[in-house]
Amino acid sequence: MLSLKNISTTHRKRPLCNLSAELESGKIYTILGRTGAGKTELLRIVMGLDDIADGHLELDGQNLADRPVRLRQMSMVYQQFINYPHLTVVQNVAFPLRRQGFSRADAHDRAMAALALVGLAGFEHRMPPELSGGQQQRVAIARAIVKKARILLMDEPLANLDYKLREKLREEFPRLLAENADGIILYSTTEPAEAMQLGHEMIVMHEGCILAMGAPADIFENPATVEVAKLVSDPPVSICHGEIANGQLMLAGTALPEGAGLVLKGDGPIQVGIRPDALSIGGDMPAKVVLAEFSGSDTIVHLSLEFGAAVMLLEGIHEFKTDQSIQVSLDTSTLLLFSAEGKNITERRSNG
Amino acid sequence: MGRTYHIIKYLCLLVWTAFVVFPFLWALSTSFKDANAVTSGARYLPWVEFEPSVQGWTSLFASGSQGINIVTPFLNSASVTLLASIVSLGLGTLAAYGLSRYSYKVGFVKNSDITFFFISQRIMPPIVLAIPFFLMLKEIQALDTIFGLVIVYVALLLPIAVWVMTDFFASIPKELDEMAMIDGCTPIGAFFRVVLPNSTAGLVVAGMFCLIFGWNDFFFAFILTFTETQLLPVAIVSLNSSVTPWWSLSAFALISVTPLALIAIVVERFMSRGSLAGAFR
Amino acid sequence: MLKPKHFFLLPALLTLAAIILFPLVFTVRVSFSSWDVYQAGLDFIGGRNYARLFEDTRFWESLLRLSGMSLITVTLQYVLGFALALAVWKKMRGGRIFRVLFLVPMMTTPVVMSVIWRTVFHESLGPANDLLSMVGIGPVPWLSSAAGAFISVVIVEVWQWTPFMFLLLLAGLVSLPREPYLAAAIDGASPARTFWQVTFPLMAPISIGAIIIRLIEASKIMDTVYVMTSGGPGTATETPSYYIYIRGLRDFQVGYSAALSLAYLVLMIITLTIIAKVLMRFLVGKET
Repeated sequence: MLSLKNISTTHRKRPLCNLSAELESGKIYTILGRTGAGKTELLRIVMGLDDIADGHLELDGQNLADRPVRLRQMSMVYQQFINYPHLTVVQNVAFPLRRQGFSRADAHDRAMAALALVGLAGFEHRMPPELSGGQQQRVAIARAIVKKARILLMDEPLANLDYKLREKLREEFPRLLAENADGIILYSTTEPAEAMQLGHEMIVMHEGCILAMGAPADIFENPATVEVAKLVSDPPVSICHGEIANGQLMLAGTALPEGAGLVLKGDGPIQVGIRPDALSIGGDMPAKVVLAEFSGSDTIVHLSLEFGAAVMLLEGIHEFKTDQSIQVSLDTSTLLLFSAEGKNITERRSNG
Repeated sequence: MGRTYHIIKYLCLLVWTAFVVFPFLWALSTSFKDANAVTSGARYLPWVEFEPSVQGWTSLFASGSQGINIVTPFLNSASVTLLASIVSLGLGTLAAYGLSRYSYKVGFVKNSDITFFFISQRIMPPIVLAIPFFLMLKEIQALDTIFGLVIVYVALLLPIAVWVMTDFFASIPKELDEMAMIDGCTPIGAFFRVVLPNSTAGLVVAGMFCLIFGWNDFFFAFILTFTETQLLPVAIVSLNSSVTPWWSLSAFALISVTPLALIAIVVERFMSRGSLAGAFR
Repeated sequence: MLKPKHFFLLPALLTLAAIILFPLVFTVRVSFSSWDVYQAGLDFIGGRNYARLFEDTRFWESLLRLSGMSLITVTLQYVLGFALALAVWKKMRGGRIFRVLFLVPMMTTPVVMSVIWRTVFHESLGPANDLLSMVGIGPVPWLSSAAGAFISVVIVEVWQWTPFMFLLLLAGLVSLPREPYLAAAIDGASPARTFWQVTFPLMAPISIGAIIIRLIEASKIMDTVYVMTSGGPGTATETPSYYIYIRGLRDFQVGYSAALSLAYLVLMIITLTIIAKVLMRFLVGKET
């Protein structure tokens, strides 16, 4: 068990504020956050590469503060493809094993096995700079898992790969990470889909703080705050200002039809979260197309509505012109309600 | 304009080339002259304008009062330069690595100030330190010894090594050494096992500059040695002031500048690859 | 146990401090003494040596001469070095040979080459006057006239150190980004325009670095002068380093020469700092 207790740092670029979390062995934790949210900084303090200004970091109840990096039984995969340029691929992977005291032959065999696992059998005598980006990252991953470290840290390992390679490697991750099944795996990413797909648990970070932590599906279904809602969905949840008046949900002065089971208590201004798939073509809401883009087999349409801007996700390819006027409808059953301060106040009547 | 431009360009390059190689060719020609060929005015082409003689070259290796001994000064120069370069490169590389990876703070003194302290030694005119060095070496009985010169040359070359290597290490991602530590190296182990093996380019450049500035120094060798540990530049200057014939002087000069001139080939390769640029920002 | 961060830095720092600090402190102390050939030792005579150097016109003249010499040689080195670097920058036939040859002079020992140059400039037996006589000039009193000696030293300095400028500037050119040139080509800019609007500004930082380094080195000129002219004729080519050398190690006025050398060091640092700042503002348009 790795525990973070009220950890703060004074890192110049992105100070971390009061982080607390308990991470259990055998689980994959994904850290989701935008660039600059503090994900790398969090991994670096766990690694011991940056200092902690305040708080405690404990592994199985032992304080890690004074333990040097090399004794932390951790391994790391950087976003940049970091390998040792002067060593061959197999020497790269055997390097940590040799430092752990394995014999040359033993280390070599284990390294070869790890290379086979990441699909680099036959490349063992190449030098890393001769390999493609994807292959270089596979070497780094092999080197990270071959150690069977207590904690495996991966800092946006797919970020610098092109789309195809990213998809392929991501599909392999569950199999590769199974090698480290007894360890704690911390995996940071900027992509909600990746975080939810890979993680047993998800940690949502924003501006140096942990906003939410828990099962990915729970966080997705029931985001604690507006920020979390925006972060865990791609395309993001659109946030519009509305109000509750006389038990009715008003958007831009118009009352929405009685939604499926939303509890509407107390009058006053609120924020309404609209999931991208809650909007669909056809209906009585006038909207103007600001921009339409294709993402895989989906179409993402940025709309300007009477009550503000919102994003609509349509399956399939749809052609829109900029400034085209269309009619849309809103499925109120998946709306999220937040207080004016941004706290989730969505309540649904059980069973409608 | 293409063609005329090219012709003019090559002409200019050839003129400069002529200027660059002229003293070498002149020295080469002179080294094969005898008294007759020298005193009858400027002569250039052997066989055509004068009858070549090898006495300029043989005199350098001849023994006795006739001979000029070049072997001892050559070996002295080589030992001092190599020893001082190795020490400077070793210490300088360690310091440069420290400065590029750790932050030091003593009072108001920070990394940049320490780097400046190193590099600023190049500003110091040799004359400022000459007399104290003289007295200091006299005190430890290291005047006119290789050991004494090496000490002084380390002070001369260390700034160069620190300067080149600091810039070089800045170009090596720090993630590389972090990775080594994560993989089980101590910080010092990470440096020796991972950073150093990937630093050959920087070490070669820094080493070359140490050799150049060490081999070519005259002033300190001139002041701090007398007869026992004469280096090449001092030897030739003392020959120059006596009645040494031009042919011997020329041969002597050519022998003493050739080893370093060959380094130009290595420097050119690094320069063309662009791996020198980082060193000079 | 020595911490790693100290393991790396301390050996070099302590070595340099040990070698440099004693001489420096010692020089300061000696500059307040009357140590000379008649009485060696550290008495204390206050600032008398410093008062004397203010009256010493030979010292100030040598400084003025050095300024002129540095300015001329470094300017020539920069212009020639830049021109040569530009000429061999792009791929061309024989480019490598030119580049290697152009570097050679800086690798050679200044005093050794000065010995050769002295024979070149010999008035009756040297090739300089011989070649000039072919085009009807001369004979030029190279080393025996004030102007001739000055010019000889400048020629040798330019020969020796233009390669250093060439090296730094070509290294800079080689690592320039490609994009601005593409943009200039698309805009149809002429070569001259491309140079002034793209190359020169991009090269400004490295130019400043190269000029400063050369000014620092030029301000120490001594080897060439010692061999070629011994400061003469008279004091026509005497530089501060050489003058201090004569006062300290020929006349053995140790106390006075210490004061001279410190004054020289301080003046140099001040001047070079000012020049660096001016160049920064002039070429890059920002303060250091």
